[in-house]
Amino acid sequence: MTDAALRVVVADDDPDIRTLVSIAVRRAGLDLVADVGTGDAALDALREHKPNIAILDVSMPGLTGLEVTAALRSDPGLSDIRVFLLSAGVTDAARQAGIDAGAEDYFFKPFSPRELAAKLTDIVAASRTAE
Amino acid sequence: MTLRELVNKFILVDTPSPLLKQAPTTIAFFAAVVLTFVVPSLNFTNWGAALGGIWGIIIATALATIFTWSPRFERIALIIPCIDLLAIGFFRLGTGGATSLFSALIILPVIWIAVTPQRRYIILAAIGTSIALMMPFILGFSPLESANDIIRGIFTPIVFATAAGIVNEMSRQGRVQVAAIRALAEERDLMLRGAVDYTNRLRENEERLQAADRLTRSVLDAVTEQSVIGTDVTGLVDVWNPGAERMLGLTAADAQGKRHVHEFHVIDELLERSKELNYPPGETVLNPGFSALVESARLGQPEVRQWTYVRADGTTLSVEVAVTRRVDENLRTVGYIFVATDVTQALEVSRLKDEFVGLISHELRTPLSSILGYLELMRDDEENPLSDEQLQYLGVAERNAHRLLRLVGDLLFTAQVGSSSFSLDAIDMEVAPVLRASVESAGPTAAAAGVGLQIDIPQDISMISGDPVRLGQACDNLISNAIKFTPRGGTVTVSMKNVNDQVVISITDTGMGIPADELDQLFARFFRASTATRAAVPGVGLGLSITKAIVTAHKGELDVASEVGIGTAFIVRLPRKQ
Repeated sequence: MTDAALRVVVADDDPDIRTLVSIAVRRAGLDLVADVGTGDAALDALREHKPNIAILDVSMPGLTGLEVTAALRSDPGLSDIRVFLLSAGVTDAARQAGIDAGAEDYFFKPFSPRELAAKLTDIVAASRTAE
Repeated sequence: MTLRELVNKFILVDTPSPLLKQAPTTIAFFAAVVLTFVVPSLNFTNWGAALGGIWGIIIATALATIFTWSPRFERIALIIPCIDLLAIGFFRLGTGGATSLFSALIILPVIWIAVTPQRRYIILAAIGTSIALMMPFILGFSPLESANDIIRGIFTPIVFATAAGIVNEMSRQGRVQVAAIRALAEERDLMLRGAVDYTNRLRENEERLQAADRLTRSVLDAVTEQSVIGTDVTGLVDVWNPGAERMLGLTAADAQGKRHVHEFHVIDELLERSKELNYPPGETVLNPGFSALVESARLGQPEVRQWTYVRADGTTLSVEVAVTRRVDENLRTVGYIFVATDVTQALEVSRLKDEFVGLISHELRTPLSSILGYLELMRDDEENPLSDEQLQYLGVAERNAHRLLRLVGDLLFTAQVGSSSFSLDAIDMEVAPVLRASVESAGPTAAAAGVGLQIDIPQDISMISGDPVRLGQACDNLISNAIKFTPRGGTVTVSMKNVNDQVVISITDTGMGIPADELDQLFARFFRASTATRAAVPGVGLGLSITKAIVTAHKGELDVASEVGIGTAFIVRLPRKQ
């Protein structure tokens, strides 16, 4: 692997939240390759950029975050993208649905950009260590 | 004694009284006495014997009167005709002996004796006759002079005895016939009484049945919001109430005896249920659709299940159907009852509620996420640091955004408790750290409000099975409430101990208290105590209902004791881990 920053695609239908996540991504030293507002656009961006990490809102117009995750998991070329879901839902059932679809973890709204950046930094550090 | 009874006693009875039997003898005898006085050719040849005879008849008549009055002497009543025979014998002796004209009087007591049941009394009659006729010779007033006298003493008694025999036999036959008739009459009376009783019972039963039928009918007719359908074991409809008419658009006349209940169901649902039940066998094996409906009830387990009804016009509606078994007096299944409630609206409400929960979740939390996120970015902006005053304003904005977030969380939680989407993530846990954390996080608020916070948590608190997040929420609610409702200078005490098989948490304050008549509404959603609203303590009235729901979900209890002006204590009891 190169020392290049891990590449990230962010998808959320709320542009303010999208910007907030993007800021956290940059602060964690990651490379934001695309930020989009729908599930369909997210899938296109993921296919195009083949990033290392996808941060997807669960509830979006068109394809939901869960559906995009499922599509990634069924596509051999994209199945190693690590998926993190963003959700305003708080039920255990909703959390389990995301894990079942193949997401690695959940970030719950409202989130602290500072904490999100710290988590992403940890994730990057952990993957570097793994290499 | 009434006149009728008196008359019956002496005269009008089936078996004549002794006095009645004696009457012909007495009358005929005294006629003979009068004749003897009156008719010049008749004379008293022996006054002593004649008077003896008269006294004899008087005594016999007196006895007959007594015996009639007191039936207990009935057994010895035959002594009377015997006395009669002796008296007639004496009278005959006193009026000419063998030549007396009154020998014929003997026939009267003889007949009395003869009608007495049992044939041996014929002999008694013969002997009595013989004694009466032979009296002059027996007492020695006149010697036996000729064979005629002896013949009279033997022949006449034989003739009388024969007559007595005939009378005895006739009266016996008469008695037998009377007895037979009486038995028949009694039997007929008995049967008649039985028939009357039976008819009465039948009428009463019929009235009761009609009343029960009217009651059942009126109850069924009164049920207009539920359909009540009864069927036999094959599903053929025999009960169809107005609710069923309304729900399924078919009159009772068109349904009863003509339609089967499963014709109003969606076939796919029936088949699916049949598959679930592995195509149940039984009384309805020829009809798996109907079997699917009643299988559970058939096995004696009443069942409530959601189905889709198909109306006569082909439209459908969602119903909840309770199926129960109908049994006869031997508890054999004779059919089923289907009580259905239209749940279309309830399902729609539930769906809207879930949708609403989702909407709140997304639409309220998303802007709050932005507000809190960007406020944090401002606070963290190292290139353009804020002034102290700006930081203070930012703090106010953040605090209120968090307050709004908590309210949204409470509303969501309340909605989840109301629907079925609320569940616990129960693990084996210690409550003490959760409670300590709650007390710790309430510290700054208590300090700001000037309320003392005391804590008494021993080391040996037992484990419970619970959801730490939810229990933390419950403890937070109770402690923040206690602080909120306690005036400056007061104290909130949080303590905990093991009591029997429970872990008991108590949160006691020296606050404004809750009026006694409001205590039972305290855990209702959106309820706020009058003391709280008067003192303008902020809140919407969800905290305690949420706390109660959490404690109840842990199979625990939440109690409250309070006195206005003194303070309030909330007690949480949670079952200890066994």
